[in-house]
Amino acid sequence: MKIKNNLVLALSLLVLSFSCSSDDDNHEQEPQGAYEDGILITNEGNYGHGNGTVTFISDDFSYAEQKMFFNVNGTLLGDTAQSIGFHEDLAYIVVNNSQKIEVVNRYTFQSVATIDSGLSNPRFITFLSGKGYVTNWGDGSNPEDDFVAVIDLETNIVSGTISVEEGPERIITNGTSIYVAHQGGYSQNNIVSVIKPNSDEVETITVGDVPNSMVFDSQGALYVLSGGIPAWTENETGGQLDVINTSSNTVSATFGFDDNEHPSNLTYGESLYYTLNGGVYKLAIDSQELSTTPEIEGVNFNFMTVRNNILYGVGAEDYTSNGTLQSYDLGTNATLHSKEVGINPGGIYFND
Amino acid sequence: MKRLLYIFIILVLGNVNVVHAQLDSIQKLDEVILSDVKLKRYTSGYKVTVLKDSVLAKSPWSLTDLLRYNSNIYFKENGYGMVSSPSFRGTNASQTAVVWNGININSQLNGQVDFNTINTSNYDSVEIRSGGGSVQYGSGAIGGSVHLSNALSFMKHTDHTVRMSYGSFDTKRANYGLSTGSENWSVNLGVAYVDSENDYKYLGTNKTNKNGQYDNLSFNLNAGYLLNDHHVFKLYHQSFVGDRNFSGTLLAPSKSKYEDTNYRSMLEWGYFHKQYTSKVKVVHLLEEFKYFENKDAEYFSFGRVQSFIGNHNLNIKLTETIDLRTIIEFAKYSGNGDSFSKPSRDAFSATALWRHKVSEPLIYGLNIRKDFTSDFESPLVFSVDGEYRFSESYALKLNGSKNFRVPTFNDLYWNPGGNLDLLPESSYQVDFGQEFSSKFVDLKLNAYFINTKDMIQWVPDNTGLFRPQNINKVKSYGGELEVFLKYTIGSHHLNMNSGYSYTVSENDANAKQLIYVPLHKANLNFGYSFKAVELFYQHLFNGEVDIIGGQLDGYDVGNLGLSYNYEISKNVHSILQFNINNLYNTTYENVALRSMPNRNYQLQLTLKF
Repeated sequence: MKIKNNLVLALSLLVLSFSCSSDDDNHEQEPQGAYEDGILITNEGNYGHGNGTVTFISDDFSYAEQKMFFNVNGTLLGDTAQSIGFHEDLAYIVVNNSQKIEVVNRYTFQSVATIDSGLSNPRFITFLSGKGYVTNWGDGSNPEDDFVAVIDLETNIVSGTISVEEGPERIITNGTSIYVAHQGGYSQNNIVSVIKPNSDEVETITVGDVPNSMVFDSQGALYVLSGGIPAWTENETGGQLDVINTSSNTVSATFGFDDNEHPSNLTYGESLYYTLNGGVYKLAIDSQELSTTPEIEGVNFNFMTVRNNILYGVGAEDYTSNGTLQSYDLGTNATLHSKEVGINPGGIYFND
Repeated sequence: MKRLLYIFIILVLGNVNVVHAQLDSIQKLDEVILSDVKLKRYTSGYKVTVLKDSVLAKSPWSLTDLLRYNSNIYFKENGYGMVSSPSFRGTNASQTAVVWNGININSQLNGQVDFNTINTSNYDSVEIRSGGGSVQYGSGAIGGSVHLSNALSFMKHTDHTVRMSYGSFDTKRANYGLSTGSENWSVNLGVAYVDSENDYKYLGTNKTNKNGQYDNLSFNLNAGYLLNDHHVFKLYHQSFVGDRNFSGTLLAPSKSKYEDTNYRSMLEWGYFHKQYTSKVKVVHLLEEFKYFENKDAEYFSFGRVQSFIGNHNLNIKLTETIDLRTIIEFAKYSGNGDSFSKPSRDAFSATALWRHKVSEPLIYGLNIRKDFTSDFESPLVFSVDGEYRFSESYALKLNGSKNFRVPTFNDLYWNPGGNLDLLPESSYQVDFGQEFSSKFVDLKLNAYFINTKDMIQWVPDNTGLFRPQNINKVKSYGGELEVFLKYTIGSHHLNMNSGYSYTVSENDANAKQLIYVPLHKANLNFGYSFKAVELFYQHLFNGEVDIIGGQLDGYDVGNLGLSYNYEISKNVHSILQFNINNLYNTTYENVALRSMPNRNYQLQLTLKF
């Protein structure tokens, strides 16, 4: 708490100095809370141990605060903090094994509501036309009860469900449609579902096995990276990158990986980046071939994202001690900063 | 249905035995035969604490509750009645062996015994043997071993015991025990049933334990038949059928359910001739579980292992003071389940035990064992122990041993992750004990050091897949004190037994105390009786433990009980007992976020006739 107060103080001073130096600047805004402008990290913690947390890290990595939700609200966040989605001033923290979503003010982290009814193994959330869409596995052992929960953002109640095929995981929207990657839950799947608001029709697009990450490029094309089926199943397949034309919802190009290659963490910032065997690879948009040399080597990221030509990745270390957030300058591929986060970090979110 | 059939067959077989037994009446031997003689004879240098049926009767029936308050062993229980695993001298859950009538019954699937699946009411005694016991009891006896024993009484008698209890959270318990016999046959039978809503309050919150319902049925049948002076046949059987919902945590609701079933049967033929005692045992063990992620859905995962064990024991009394015992054992384990195909394993072991009473005060033992296993190389293990009794009231005990724990079926074959390149965990230890005894007081003081290497731990590999590896090294050391007091003035009887343990258990890599090992644990049992009335009090202090990313507070819990003995008629004896558990309404968790019960009550009636 003390550190937080110091931060508040620091930020106030900062604001003060801004206010003094730029009186005539109409663009500057009051900070809306202690956590504006910074990075939020979701730390899953250990399943069943109730030690899921969110870490705040300042943009310049000079400051970090662990267990923000607890610090602000005085109660533990929950079991397996899976992901965060932002909508207007609110952050929706999906807490998988607590079967709930904690809704907080994204800048103060003050609790606003808890959605704890109508969810079953919730995973990721996105927002379209005033509604939240949350992927749910249902019972992991049941392939037929998976769904996307529709949340009324006015009442914070699950107002409807859309049945989908097994293992819906990542969910993103381009403002028109919602795309759900079916990683497969405890099993493996190979589709992307397309959901249109105000329609019960769910269209599916077949992609590679086990789609684990999706991004839109600046032209609106959807890139879906599939990890392939792991070796232990004795039915191993290699990864695949599918490019989807979002006006026709068809696959327009496919890149194949070798049978024993299982890429993940597709992200986009001018070019595409993904991880494979401890390396970060780059793929330029319009490129016809996958690169064989990594940009960065020796990483072990649970999750990775790119912004302003900086790559951010979180690694879990040994899953029982705190993980780290690491940043790299993509101009030089050199390490920039590193900061300790919580146990088993899995998501990086820019809070601005 | 299959279960019922199985129980039925056992009952019938049991009865046949009895009928046959009744036809013959040759021998006249008044004798109580113990199920695990080597526990008595080959443990001079070890601390063995015996909990008799009088202690068992006061405890709420589960082995967890019994040992938590009556031994140095620390327990992690996932909420009351849920999965419960021991930490004996800082070791982990699979490094304590549970020995049922001489046979190691640790699960072949995960290497442990869930101490909430053992109902103590059908046993005559529970013994706690501290220190490494792999030579005698095989894999897993690293911290120590817990022995469940049934005695067969070869004298003319028929005793019935009926116990019924009702208490908070709609907890119902019923137990019937029969012990009968004559000079040449003996039968005892026990049936115990426990059923509880288990919907206790989570103190300090407005929540209750929503998904913690459990019931279980235990059935034990033991029979012995003395053919003549030289031959004895014995049958031991135990069935356990348990059905539990697994409660959630303060932060994670649960709707899961777990069914476990264990059948254990053993036939034994003993042959006695002059200085030779030979025993041939044939054992069948079956363990099976079904886990339902959602108790209302039909989906479940299951696992099952069957074990067939053949064992021959030969004890030779070489001289008046020297005993030699050889044991050879063959075991075949075969499993199947959702997470592995159909693995099987064969194991053979040869053991030699030597005991020499050098002089009146000095006894020592030398023991050695080698296992041969189809999947991996097992180490040669040994133990040396000795006792020097300076006087009636003071003895020194010392033992040193090498012990092991084999990888489990899960470690080897689980898909994904199972690793066929694992080695058994191996452990060296020394244990030094002193025992003082006098008319009123007995004291046991022990210090030990355990060094375990190649500990199996599931860690992520470079693809993020969790796989078991022989990576950890752990050093444990500590001290234990046990005090037993007995004092009588006129019709006033006082007794007390208490224990304290100091346990350091550190991972070699970072010299940090392992999670869920308290530095301090203390337990106290105090009893006062006057004529037909007895008042007793139990107390447990469990120190703070480290957990992943933090600490879990220590706690004090007390239980109070009052019992009244009444002779209903000449041959019918009754005991009415009232217990208040968690007297101080302590808010506590022994696993983080898994609340334990608030103050609760229990009324129990025992009839003996």
